[in-house]
Order: sequence, then C-alpha cells, then structure tokens
Amino acid sequence: MKGKMAGSSIANGRMAARAFTAIVGGYAAAAGFVSLLARIAPVDRAEATIWAMTLSFLVYAGLILWAFHEIRLARVAGTIWGLAFGTVGCLWLLGPAL
Amino acid sequence: MPVAAGAGAVSKAASNAATGVRQSMAWIHGWLGLLAGWILFAMFLTGTASYFRPEITRWMQPEIDLRPVTAATAADTAAAHLQKLAPTAEQWFIYLPDARTTATRIFIRERPSPDPNAKPSPRRPELRLDPATGEEVTARDTRGGEHFYRFHFQLQIPHPWGRWLAGLCAMAMLAAIISGVITHKRIFVDFFTLRWSKGQRSWLDAHNVSAVIALPFHAMITYTGLITLVAMYMPWPIQANYKDPATFETAVFGAEPDAEVTGRPAALTPVAPLIAKASEEWGGGRPATMVVRNPNDATATITLFQSAKDRLNARGGSIVFSGVDGRRLSASPPPGPAAETSGVMLGLHMGSFAGPVLRWTYFLLGLAGTAMVGTGLMLWTVKRKRPGAEPLFGIRLAERLNVGAIACLPAGMAAFLLANRLLPATLPARGDIEVSIMFWTWFGLAALACVRPIRRAWTETLAIAAVAFLALPLVNALTTDRGFVRSFANGDWLFVAFDLAMLATGALLGFGAWRTAQISSRPVRKSRPAVRPAKPLREAVDAP
Repeated sequence: MKGKMAGSSIANGRMAARAFTAIVGGYAAAAGFVSLLARIAPVDRAEATIWAMTLSFLVYAGLILWAFHEIRLARVAGTIWGLAFGTVGCLWLLGPAL
Repeated sequence: MPVAAGAGAVSKAASNAATGVRQSMAWIHGWLGLLAGWILFAMFLTGTASYFRPEITRWMQPEIDLRPVTAATAADTAAAHLQKLAPTAEQWFIYLPDARTTATRIFIRERPSPDPNAKPSPRRPELRLDPATGEEVTARDTRGGEHFYRFHFQLQIPHPWGRWLAGLCAMAMLAAIISGVITHKRIFVDFFTLRWSKGQRSWLDAHNVSAVIALPFHAMITYTGLITLVAMYMPWPIQANYKDPATFETAVFGAEPDAEVTGRPAALTPVAPLIAKASEEWGGGRPATMVVRNPNDATATITLFQSAKDRLNARGGSIVFSGVDGRRLSASPPPGPAAETSGVMLGLHMGSFAGPVLRWTYFLLGLAGTAMVGTGLMLWTVKRKRPGAEPLFGIRLAERLNVGAIACLPAGMAAFLLANRLLPATLPARGDIEVSIMFWTWFGLAALACVRPIRRAWTETLAIAAVAFLALPLVNALTTDRGFVRSFANGDWLFVAFDLAMLATGALLGFGAWRTAQISSRPVRKSRPAVRPAKPLREAVDAP
C-alpha cells in the first residue's frame, strides 16, 4: 500500500487484517451461510443444494465489498468471522440431512 | 484522489454516506482490478479465442479434412473399430462428431487386472477416426484449440492451484464489476463518450465504453464462469446435506450403470438404432457421447449423453440402454428449477448452442471484455503518474506488467500458431514444444520489454505481435496446400475466415504500435519531457 499511508505499519497491519477477513473470512462466511440455507430450506435437498451453490458467489462478493467499505475493522471482523463460525457451528450441530 | 491512499480512503469514506460508498467502491475497484488484472486479461483473451476451439484445432491439423456424416453412421463405424481394437475392455468412450468437430474421438478404458499386485495397464491414448469409414486418422501432434481453452481456467499451473487462482481472479472480477457499477454516476452518458488523444481522460472513456457497452455480458460471463467450477469452489452445501457426495450426484444426474462383468459373452446390439431412439426421446436432440460398459458381455450397457450444441442447458440428459438387446433401462431425472438454472448458466458461458452469428457476437463481446480489463490496467498507471516526478517503483512495475500482458501475450499466441506450421510434422512431442514456444515468446518478450524505455517497449512489442499475426496467412500458404487463394476457390471457409481473422488481429496490433509510436513523439502531457530526455523522443519519431 504505497501512497499517503506508506510507512505506517499499524495502518498496513490493519489493511492486511481487513484483506484476510474479506477474502478468507468472507469465503468461510459465504460457504457457511449458503450451506446452512441449503440444509434448512424447506425444498427438495438436491434443489436446495444447487440453489445454495449457485448463489454463493453473490454472497461472497457482497461480503468482500462490505469488508472494504465499512470503516470499523472490529465490526467487519466481528460480523464476518461471527457469521462464519456461527453458521458452521449450526451445521456441525445439525449434521448432514441424508 | 484518496483512491490510492490505502486505509486512509476507507476512513475518509465515513464522512458522507452517498459519496462514501462511491469512494470506497472506487478504491476497491482500482485495487481488485490491478491485482487480478493481468491474469484476468489473459483469461479473457484465451477464453475469447476458445469460442473457436474446434475451429482452431482443425486449422492446426490441416491434414485432416473430413466429410461430415450422420451421428448414427459415426457411432456404427466407431463401434466396429472398437470391436477390432478392444472387444473386452471395461469401457468404450465415443465422442461423436458434429458440424464443427469433424472427427470421431474414441477412448478405451482397460479392465483392471484381477491380480492386485499386477502393474496397472498403461492409459491408452485417445484416438481419432474418420466418421465415414471408422479408420484412424493421423495428423501432426498438437494441443490445438484445447490449449487456449485449458489455459483459460488452469493457467498452465499444476492442478488444483491453477483452477483456484483462476477462481480467485474471477471472484475479483465479480467484485470489481459490482464496485465499478456503484462507482459510476452516469452510466448512460458514458455509453456515448469517447474522447481520443486526451491522455488519462481517453483511457477512462475507453474503459467506460468497453465496460458499459457489454456490461450484461461481462457480468454474465464472470458469474457463469465461476459456476463452471462451482463443485470445486463451493462444495460445502453438498457436504451440509449429504454424507456421501455420490448420493447428490445420483439425485441430480441419475445413477450410472455399475454392473460387474459376468464373463458370459453376448453380442453387442447395433448402436445406430439407439441413437434414433434417444433422439426421439429428446424431441430431436442429438447425442454427443456414447459410453459402452462391459461390451460383448451379458451385462453390457450403452449410455447416450445429450449434446449441448442445440440447447441452452449445457447439462443434457442421459439414457441407459441394454447393450445386449437395446432395451431402454433408465434415464437421468428431469432437472428441477435449480439444476436447470445452473445448467443454463453453464451453457451461457460455454456458448456451445450458438450458431455462427451468435458465436461471432460472443467473440466480439469477449474482446470487449479483454479491452475493458486492458484499458483499466492502463488507466491505473496513467492516473498515478505525477507530472514532473519519477514514477514510484510500483507504478513502473505495473507499466511493465501491462506490456507483458497486453502486448506480449498476443505475440505468444501468434508464436504458438506459427510453431504449429513451422515445426516438422513428425517431430517427437511437438505438441508440447508448441506450448513451450508460446510461453517462451510471451515471457521472453516481457523480460525484454523490461529493459527498454516504456514507450519503446509498447511500440516494439506490439509491432512484433502484429508482424507475427500478419505472417500467419503467408506461412500457412507456404507450408500447407490450404492457403488463402486455394481455400477461397475451394469454398474452404474455415481456412478463409482464419486467415482474415489473423490479418485483422495483426492490423489491430499494428494500429496499436503506430499509435504508441505517435504518442511518444507528441508531448500530450507536460510530464513527459521532464521524465524523459529529449533524445529517445526523437528516436521514437523515426521508429516505424
């Protein structure tokens, strides 16, 4: 990150944390969210699975953009990692349907 | 501009909600576009070329010039040939020809030895047959159009990393498209605005025009591209619902026959009538692939897979017939709304259903996407150069990588095609050598461009790429008997169109070389005389 903030290692570290949350956390949150949707949606299992897979990239893209738009890093990290761990935790408790 | 200011832009974006969103989106758009841009440029360009994948393969094997026959005839001749080659194989795969792919392709899977300690039998290579006679056709070894197609999503990087990197770049593209649209205030006006020779303003206009004109295509092609590999990128909904992913596949695509061989011989039923039966069940749809399991055994089955060439949904159905008496045993379930949607998305990406006019439209829209990425990359560097100041290392690096992607990749692609004509037809492993030549040319020229002044690098590399493309029709005429004049006289429109496309590509690249030579000789912006001493400028005037 060259430019006005060059040399500020705190700002660079925060940007690295934000990028990691957006890309890795965003993927985990999107995957967990759509998988939970696929697991509990009251439609045919195969259909729910395909809808979830098909829409997952839109959820992921939205999370990435929001992660860079929202100023408060704590809020970004809390929401995205919270969504990731929350949904994956629910899925772990539910177990596979079939 | 706060766009380059890293975290600063994000905190600034707090002040005002409406401009805040636009600012943060402009910032993320710029960085996503830059970091993924060079790979995206290569993915767009090779993907665009892949709309003519079978045609490129046919051009790269000029020895093969086959007459089309019906699918039933092709299936019959292929099955007869396989009876001679491998009557007791585990499976035969027959890829039937069509109007664009003229040869039948066959592949044999040997039965694994019952002895667990025996060495696995070597994988048999795929063979190509003349569909009229079932005779094997031989031609120069080449990857053909398959090379651009594979590179488009595997990036010549070992599995699975190439596909993951391509997926990451496609995600960046999707996020860049969404953020780019939010950034825009005046999408409709940008549609009609293109100001030439105004430096940064022109690059912005060109980026906007190429992006906005084909925006639905860009969004569609990016999203559907992700869908093509969704089972790899996002398998978790399957895991959430099924203990065994095979259960999901059976539910969606139907059960594959898996009868064990009995050893009781039974003559294989004629295959041509099955083609007619399947076509009737599909309302006239054509079969693309035939898989024969346990041929000449009492448990033989024949599965026909529907072609995507005449339908929007690329995932056609399949029907399983008995290989002994031709009885219909089972078929894939009709797709539900979600399966239909995802199959149509796949079809929209591949464009297999497209006829000639729509195919060329796909090609031109793909070029618009390539131009969108390319002009975006140019804009990024032009925008960040400060008048009178030596550009930062990062900007100089980005400039070189721009040359490496935008000018050197086309040169590499032309070298791949030239190598196909110039390497001896019988040279061992010549298919792999063709591919190596593409990458040596591409990266070699990119390395060379790093040690040249930036403007000269553009002019020189674009000129080399232009000459390489313009040479292709000539080299083709000298090394094959399907040169332009004879192709035209014989009505060999594939070869005529290929020559014309190469000339047009060469002319476009030549125009680029001419423009960069002109621009370097004319001080458009005040910054240039300060950055560059006068002498190289005058040399540039003399350059072609």
